Amino acid sequence: MSARSYDAVVIGAGVSGLTAASYLAKAGKHVLVVEARNKLGGLSETAPLGEGFSVPIAAHALYALDPRIVKELKLARHGLKFAVRDMALVGLRPGGKHVVIARDVHATVRNIAIHSKADAEAWPRFRHELFALARALRPLWWDAAPAKPLPQAGREKLDRLGRVSAAAWLDSWFESDALKATLAFDATAGIQPFEPGSALLLLWRAAQEMCGLQGAAAVPFGGSGALASSLAAAARALGVEIQTGANAVKLLVQDDRAAGIALASGETIAAGLVLSSLSRRRTLCGLAPAGAAGLETVAALCDERKTVGQAKVLLTLNALPAFNGIAVPQDARFVVADRLDSYAAAGAAARAGRLPDELAIEFVVPSAADRALAPPGQHIVSALVRPVPFAAAAGWETMKVQLAAKVVAALEAHVSGLARHVGAAQVLSPADIADRYGVGDEGFDDIHVLSPWNSRTMTPIPGLFLCGAEPVSAISGRAGRIAAALALRAEDRR
Amino acid sequence: MGAAPKTRGGGLRYDACVIGAGADGLAAAATLAKAGLKTIVVERGERPGGRLVLREFHPGFHASPFCDVLAPIPAEIFWSLDLARKGVVPSSASTSLAMWPDRSHVLRWPSPEQSLLRQAARLAEETRLRAGRDAESIPRRPLFAPAPAPAPWPGDDWLTAALTDKVAREVGDPDAAAHVMALALQGRAADPFLRGSALHLLAHGGSGLVTRGLAGALADAAREAGAEIVCNAEAIDIRQARDRVCAIGLADGSQIETRAALSTLDLKRTFLSLFHWDALPKPVARRVAAFRMAGSTARLLLALDRLPGLDAASMRAPIHVAPDPAVMAEATAAWRSGVVPQHPPLSFRIVSASDPGLAPASHAVMTATLGCIPFRLFDGAWTREKRDLLRDRALAAIESVLPGTMARIVAAELIVPPDIEEALGATDGDLWGGEIAADQMFGFRPGFDIAAPRTPLAGLYLAGPSSPAGPLATCGAGTIAARAMIADLGRPR
Repeated sequence: MSARSYDAVVIGAGVSGLTAASYLAKAGKHVLVVEARNKLGGLSETAPLGEGFSVPIAAHALYALDPRIVKELKLARHGLKFAVRDMALVGLRPGGKHVVIARDVHATVRNIAIHSKADAEAWPRFRHELFALARALRPLWWDAAPAKPLPQAGREKLDRLGRVSAAAWLDSWFESDALKATLAFDATAGIQPFEPGSALLLLWRAAQEMCGLQGAAAVPFGGSGALASSLAAAARALGVEIQTGANAVKLLVQDDRAAGIALASGETIAAGLVLSSLSRRRTLCGLAPAGAAGLETVAALCDERKTVGQAKVLLTLNALPAFNGIAVPQDARFVVADRLDSYAAAGAAARAGRLPDELAIEFVVPSAADRALAPPGQHIVSALVRPVPFAAAAGWETMKVQLAAKVVAALEAHVSGLARHVGAAQVLSPADIADRYGVGDEGFDDIHVLSPWNSRTMTPIPGLFLCGAEPVSAISGRAGRIAAALALRAEDRR
Repeated sequence: MGAAPKTRGGGLRYDACVIGAGADGLAAAATLAKAGLKTIVVERGERPGGRLVLREFHPGFHASPFCDVLAPIPAEIFWSLDLARKGVVPSSASTSLAMWPDRSHVLRWPSPEQSLLRQAARLAEETRLRAGRDAESIPRRPLFAPAPAPAPWPGDDWLTAALTDKVAREVGDPDAAAHVMALALQGRAADPFLRGSALHLLAHGGSGLVTRGLAGALADAAREAGAEIVCNAEAIDIRQARDRVCAIGLADGSQIETRAALSTLDLKRTFLSLFHWDALPKPVARRVAAFRMAGSTARLLLALDRLPGLDAASMRAPIHVAPDPAVMAEATAAWRSGVVPQHPPLSFRIVSASDPGLAPASHAVMTATLGCIPFRLFDGAWTREKRDLLRDRALAAIESVLPGTMARIVAAELIVPPDIEEALGATDGDLWGGEIAADQMFGFRPGFDIAAPRTPLAGLYLAGPSSPAGPLATCGAGTIAARAMIADLGRPR
């Protein structure tokens, strides 16, 4: 049997992989996408949990999807429709005086004034500066080759912000711990808010655009899995072939160039371009033949060991009691983080392999806006928990039970009676997420965040590109779009 | 209308008034006076010396209340102030010891671990030189032309590195690695696993001991050069005329007329205690408010009735008690929350072994430095009970590696960050003049848009710990600021 042959093969049918494949197909390439699992979607997977419930396994909100992808691949025509377009950010407080940060500046100012008059006055200025700086950085984060360099004033501010920690930056603006602890949650992905560079995460987040709104978070009907389905439909319409249950185990290299891949079944697929949506580490240490990427690069990558990560806790509820305290929108994303300082203690505990006493939790109730996700009257809760140890001292199986109990207790504190209504629960440890999707095992790196796309997307092996290498890990598709463009350009030059 | 304030110096106008007679202030005064500027130093305390002053904490027993180790005095300053002839011996320990209850680790100079420390010391020195060059060569920012992008600083690639990573790259043995981290983080609060913590190694202070003669020698150097030193004179006000510093107001109501002022206080203390908040330009006030200072050091001075049983080499060495990076991380988290850590990082030293004059014959003085001690406690003030609790924790830690110490104690004095603020005027008891963090080091220290030591207020210069060279070298920041002032004042007006 002769090997199948394509112009390009894409590893992974997540949002990044499907986006990359679509753009390659749009440029006239014959493209195959191989997916190890029997399901499409990768990190944007929506899966059943119990009878009649659909839960977001990894990502429960979209905040970084590239608007150009939605437009250029006509995703709306392929079924993408948003249930929530702009989630408010709600910091739940023990006394019931929650922090509600919405797009409406006046409403937000009124809410912040409960906690601090000075902070309420500072909020519009902070938001303006955050959004303006973030917009100035869009060329760097949105395009493979920025058209013009940053203006001088912006560069100086960025120089400083690139070094400041999120905690220190927020401290310089606000006095209320409630507000700071709520805002700092977004600066905890792979880093602590006390580390230099973490303020960049807040900027990066504010540079994104969803549904035409800067810095918004949104959820499609059907959960984030619906994004993957619409992308798959768009890709197929462009002629992309998608093969599930096909586990790529080896990269084939010929004349020092990527020449295709070998599957676990033994089949080989020839292709002049290989795009991997796995992490750099998994791609270069796991797939590429030893030595092809340069021994030093591989050694450095394999050496990196992550000690702290994030976990997911999914719950089904047979009823959703009301939130304690002041009225909050149910389709918001809720942050439970008591104090800014508790992130430090939690980080130290997690690194030592223990479950921290004060966890930082972000949770959403996707079924509040999208009734189809749960049976009538019933609900799902999806909670993201940071930081938790990557490898638990007592083993993750026992820790999963503790973690679920802790999350339920934390929610119960703000939604009295919730614990009685919990049906099923599912916990995914950081290692579960990393193994399931082949990503999430790399640390935060500020140089990585501010470096040009070339350095993230290209690999030492010509013809091999990384199509999931976002500056900050998120469901975006941008890395796929840019990897496809860079791959096509490299192909042209040959 | 009040009477015109009495003017000191018989109506004379000084060229330079130095605020604070610590190492920086005295070195600055000597440099200024040598250049022919009429210089006066005002000092709040009774004696010049600042943190170099030793105190008799129990009859017959002397110790430095604030620190054991000093950042190195750069060689060029050491020789130009002629300190050698004034009897100062550059002292540095040749050994450092880490002790756990069941084992110990010795670091001898030179050793493999030394390459990292030497690299850090070299970078600190290069940083100081760079700060000095900047101060002398960059005058004012041109009005309209944009400033050129600043050249990278020598230590730039240390900015976002974690101490654990830096150390792991050079030191294999976990005990040795913990030892080096303890050396770098003595008296501080930093999580060695977090990015940016490697900066502490740059500013780690070296191993020079605060010796008895140092404060006096520096004061002599300043006086010999022609500077006047006035003690018991607290500066409370910097007066301006036509947007320039014109006089320094003192607490006793008198004033000193001067062309320029050089403050060796930290950034916050300089701007918040010497100016009216409203008189400060908005951007300056904002920057000063946002500058982070955080005290983390406590000191325990112990008078012992006989020398502890240690061999001669260890007797003079700094001894780090059971260093463990994970414990340092948890102590830092506690410190952030205003809690006294269960196991604060602790190093001690038998200072009378190096200088027998500090204690009566056959007695000894031991000083301990504790890190991660909060300035503000979450549950209120530093009461007697809380001090006792901390003292007992520290003594238990020392006892665990050196059994029998407790029984030898004649007197003990504990100094916590509020005491340091009270005694030294260091905001929040921060001995390093501002948190050592990536956004507060090098070109960002103290972070005005005018290169330090110049400040946005004409005629005011900032030396002291909040300037770029402040935490890296003793006397370094003072000399740099003095040179900048000489360059500016010598220029035709």
